[in-house]
Amino acid sequence: MEKSQKTFARLWALIGIAALITIYAAPLFLGVYSASLFRDAMLFGLMALGLDFLWGKTGVLSFGHATFFGAGAYGMAIVSTEMGLGPVAGAWLGLLGGIALAAALALIIGYFLIYGGVRGSYFTIVTLALGVIAKLVVLGASDLTGGDAGLLGIPSLQFPTRSGPQPLPEIGQYWFVISVVCLMTLAVWWACSGRYGTLLKSIEDNERRAQALGYNTSAHLLAVFVGSAAIAALGGALYATTVGVVATDSIDLALSTQAIIFVAIGGRGTLFGPVLAAVAVIWLEQKISSFDAQLWPLFMGGLFILAVFALPNGALKGVERLAAKLKGAAK
Amino acid sequence: MTAAIPALLNAMTLISILMLVGLGLAIIYGLMGIINMSHGDFITVGAFSLALVQGLGGSFWMALIVAPFIGAVLGFCIEKTIIQFLYKRPLGAIMATWGLSLILQQGLQLIFGASPQRVISPIDATVEIFGASYPAYRLLLIAMAVAIMIAVHLFIRKTRFGLDLRTVLQNPEMADALGIDTRRVFTAAFALGAGLACIAGVLLAPLTAVIAQMGTNYLARSFFVVIVGGAGSVPGVVAGASFVGGAETMFNYMIPAAMSQALVLVLAVILVRFRPNGLVAR
Repeated sequence: MEKSQKTFARLWALIGIAALITIYAAPLFLGVYSASLFRDAMLFGLMALGLDFLWGKTGVLSFGHATFFGAGAYGMAIVSTEMGLGPVAGAWLGLLGGIALAAALALIIGYFLIYGGVRGSYFTIVTLALGVIAKLVVLGASDLTGGDAGLLGIPSLQFPTRSGPQPLPEIGQYWFVISVVCLMTLAVWWACSGRYGTLLKSIEDNERRAQALGYNTSAHLLAVFVGSAAIAALGGALYATTVGVVATDSIDLALSTQAIIFVAIGGRGTLFGPVLAAVAVIWLEQKISSFDAQLWPLFMGGLFILAVFALPNGALKGVERLAAKLKGAAK
Repeated sequence: MTAAIPALLNAMTLISILMLVGLGLAIIYGLMGIINMSHGDFITVGAFSLALVQGLGGSFWMALIVAPFIGAVLGFCIEKTIIQFLYKRPLGAIMATWGLSLILQQGLQLIFGASPQRVISPIDATVEIFGASYPAYRLLLIAMAVAIMIAVHLFIRKTRFGLDLRTVLQNPEMADALGIDTRRVFTAAFALGAGLACIAGVLLAPLTAVIAQMGTNYLARSFFVVIVGGAGSVPGVVAGASFVGGAETMFNYMIPAAMSQALVLVLAVILVRFRPNGLVAR
């Protein structure tokens, strides 16, 4: 048993390394356009990672995670374009500002809801409302946010070189984004791999019992909520700075539900799964939309229903189950 | 004084719309506990059935009779194919009904096109009330909303089916043991909720642009109508709709529409936090 587990772990590590090499080398054989799509998809994957940290590890489903992605993106845009900072300082401070805005929002909202005992489906509906509120506020405060038109001209992140600060070339930007996403995924995975993950799991299974064992469950849930919002905001802020524009589609309810489908398809709680699922689903969206843009929402709807009935634990677990069945049949 | 009357009537119109929209959800969410993300699209289906009936030469009143049947059949099919497997999986129900919502919206748009559907209001006249003129259709809407609320309240309180429904929702195992076919009651309740949403859609259609996405506007608000009022009772829906509709109309006179909707939702969230059982607790 132990030996087979060890070989299994080795196999996974090998697959992981091979996947990493492929991802890093991708722009060389995909071309610049596909690579930039892939890069943007990875940033949406970061939002999925944030949601999975919350939903996968504590069982609390947020139906408004685009609020935090959007807070990151709009925070980035407002700080870098409307505060009169230069493009160098503006972009970096914008990154921090976007994340800080989302974290502060999550802290206030989370404190108010989680300490008030709002859990389960109530939490989901309230976060659904948050997403709607956030979009209405963005539309209403058009002086600051540009309303329907959004904000343009967000500067790129610049890095010090011998000839002064320079933005990264296309491929460097790709590698930078991939590295950030991989590091964040590893960080969350590492944080949840030990005792802390077990604690979060125990809160999901039975919060009362975890409380009785002396854990301040509300504080832990709040910490995870803020962390998950900050990760989503990092994705949003990086998205805004790489694409250069931000509009209401990055705070829309539709985006919140996309995050849910990424996590559901990728496998709730697997952390790596949702990131990969984000890339896979966005790739599929591109393919189907290039065929006929009107078909995609139908597919998306079908994916939701499929995720609920056919893949209750995500595609990875589904494949694993299938593999186990085949192995059983082979014996 | 004459300025206050249209404001009051506007508030009552919005409250009536929200009551109608929330009523179906009060049964599906408030009583059955299913978070039905496609509720808004049932409303859209109702509005489209009006366009369809009128397009085929029928009248508004005919649509008002046909639409709930379309809704009930739709609700029946959805309950049988999707919802009935998800009573023990609330999050699964949220996701599946959201998927359904996407399919319904896009399906309607593919069939009927993206431009607004043509619907004809049954009455165009305006009425003088205390010196202020007001569209007669809105008064009709208010009257219809009140009548429907009373009818549903009596239906749930006084009929055999209403009794079965309340029994099943209070304690499904016990109801089962008493010989009530709980699965049938759940199916019927879901179909009833969908049918009511379609009636709301018909009544609402002459006041808005009838497009495939129209239901989305009402989704978050209808949930809060039900939660703020107190899950699953007709008086609760009245209280919730009055709170949301009244507050929104009031803010509309002070701040831009988007902000007033946002502010009402914020207030509703705060209210839910402090009174999780709603204004009219059971």
